[in-house]
Amino acid sequence: MKKNILGILGLLIAIFVITAVLNPKFVSAYNMQNLVKWSSLYSIMGVGVAFVIITGGIDLSIGSVIGLTASLLAFTLGKNWDPVVAICAMLGLSALIGLIHGLLITKAKLQPFVVTLCGLLIYRGMARWTTDNQSMGFKGHDQLNEIFSGKIPITDTFALPMPFVFLVVIAVAAALFLNRTIWGRYLLALGNNEEGARYSGIQTDNLKIAAYVICSLLAGISGLLFAFELDSVQPAQTGEFYELYAIAAAVLGGCSLRGGEGGILGVIIAAAVIRLIYNSINMLGISTHLEYAILGIVILAGVVADELLKRYTAKRAAQ
Amino acid sequence: MKVARYLLAFACASALLLGWGCKKPTDSKNNTVTVAYVTNGVDPFWDLCAAGVRIAEKEFNIKCEVHMPTKGLVDQKRIMETLLAKGIDGIAISPIDAENQTAFINEAAKQTKLITHDADAPDSDRMLYIGTNNYKAGRALGELVKAALPEGGEVMIFVGRLEQLNARQRRQGVIDELLGRPEQELSTAKFDPVDAKNLKAEGSKYIILDTRTDNFDKAKAKSNAEDTITKYENVACMVGLFAYNPPACLDAIREANRTGKIKVCGFDEPDAMLQAIKDGTAQGTISQQPWKYGYESVKAMKRILDGDTAFIPENKFMEVPFLVVTKENVDEFWATKKEMAELGKQ
Repeated sequence: MKKNILGILGLLIAIFVITAVLNPKFVSAYNMQNLVKWSSLYSIMGVGVAFVIITGGIDLSIGSVIGLTASLLAFTLGKNWDPVVAICAMLGLSALIGLIHGLLITKAKLQPFVVTLCGLLIYRGMARWTTDNQSMGFKGHDQLNEIFSGKIPITDTFALPMPFVFLVVIAVAAALFLNRTIWGRYLLALGNNEEGARYSGIQTDNLKIAAYVICSLLAGISGLLFAFELDSVQPAQTGEFYELYAIAAAVLGGCSLRGGEGGILGVIIAAAVIRLIYNSINMLGISTHLEYAILGIVILAGVVADELLKRYTAKRAAQ
Repeated sequence: MKVARYLLAFACASALLLGWGCKKPTDSKNNTVTVAYVTNGVDPFWDLCAAGVRIAEKEFNIKCEVHMPTKGLVDQKRIMETLLAKGIDGIAISPIDAENQTAFINEAAKQTKLITHDADAPDSDRMLYIGTNNYKAGRALGELVKAALPEGGEVMIFVGRLEQLNARQRRQGVIDELLGRPEQELSTAKFDPVDAKNLKAEGSKYIILDTRTDNFDKAKAKSNAEDTITKYENVACMVGLFAYNPPACLDAIREANRTGKIKVCGFDEPDAMLQAIKDGTAQGTISQQPWKYGYESVKAMKRILDGDTAFIPENKFMEVPFLVVTKENVDEFWATKKEMAELGKQ
């Protein structure tokens, strides 16, 4: 696992240095602040899906959960709900979504792919239907804006964006859960060999359900953060396809799609790498039409290099 | 369980048969004709168009179904096929991919009265195209930039996608206006390459730095604006060609504490942009007055169905006038928009 992190960290540093050399403005405080902000926003959902991937499952509904919570938050606040109630309701709703996923997957024995794919469609449809598909904003909610998308001044020019604070809290909790609690160990064991884990007396169903709840809950939190970051919600578009960024970050960060493997730090670094690539493309003035191609090539190169490095070290260890 | 399934199958089959039996005499039963207004997707923009459809329905005593395909080309085709199967009297469609849909549009045009709106399929047999002259609208947007920057300066363009013809035409209009080039004909317009950087012209005080796309991702739109602020310290004006671009620019500018220093000009009429125009933080926006699209489409179909085709111009292009919204007329415009948004929801 440690080596996985080294590979992705190397990639992060390499792109960082290359961009900084080619365009020194890249390291300006303003740009770093933006980079930290976007990386944090995308990391949170990556951390969520990492839990599900560790159990050997998948969650395709993340983008729609983001869209649903963002839309319903704007909608309920527009109907003069108390902000605390509205936010708690959104968190409750996203946890409930995760619970339903988990129950359908463990108790009804449905495939995660199917359950969450249907979720993707259902939540997007619900978001559009309840809100009449109108763009909505958050006028008059300055306090909430401060909490979710405010900034904490560090120096004259650099301020820490609030999504980063959220990420740190979430990441620390997630890492402690995964590495320092018995349930975290169980989760990894269950991903490695579900039958084996069950026969050793681990309540695999409950753990799996918990993983889906965590994933949807973090997607819900991302939804709130994105909503305030963008100050505007479009029920048909907000969060669309974001599950792919989340899954890419989780896998690139060392989670195996076969389950049983993964860590939190790697996922965060990987999410940052993806944002960094986007930022570098703009900084270097490369055509935005090339963006996806570059993203694909860099990630593929990173994974190949990582694989080669792993084989090399394994060989040396064997000698 | 099995019985229930049979019952369900029976119910489905009888419903189908019933529907089939009733299909034919749609227009003999009552004399109001039914037409359809098919959009290219789901968007609040189309709700504003639907408002115009509703007004025209009442005015011309005609029924019009509004269909918004949720998942692109395939969905649009499915909707069209259903409408044709129902024997619809007329269709106004905004083709998603005009060039490659031409054959299908021709097929539909054989079976019903077909016009295009918003986006044209110029090589098809559609009877009429109702839309904005996006090149002219782009030039009007260029004039807004000139008004915002009378001394000249660096200008950056943001847009969702440049694969769409209307986006390319708008962009070219802005570029040609700022660089003082002569006006081009819409049908023969030549475009600068999509990744052209630092466009300049002799005698022009403006530099067009670049055009950044975001594939309709609002988060990307905002980070594009942020990255522009980082990369180009002297950027003086941001031009957003799709509805959500100007608000994304305004957000990025505000967060970088550059409000007022970097001007914003845009397209379409999101509330955030109208507010910014009111507050003076944005120069102005070009509205295509979407409700007029809906209204004119239904009106044209009604006239065609009444046998009147004399109003169709020779080039088959009916221009819907766009409106330049600035501080002077923003209040009045906003009131209309609110009214239309309400109406369109019904």
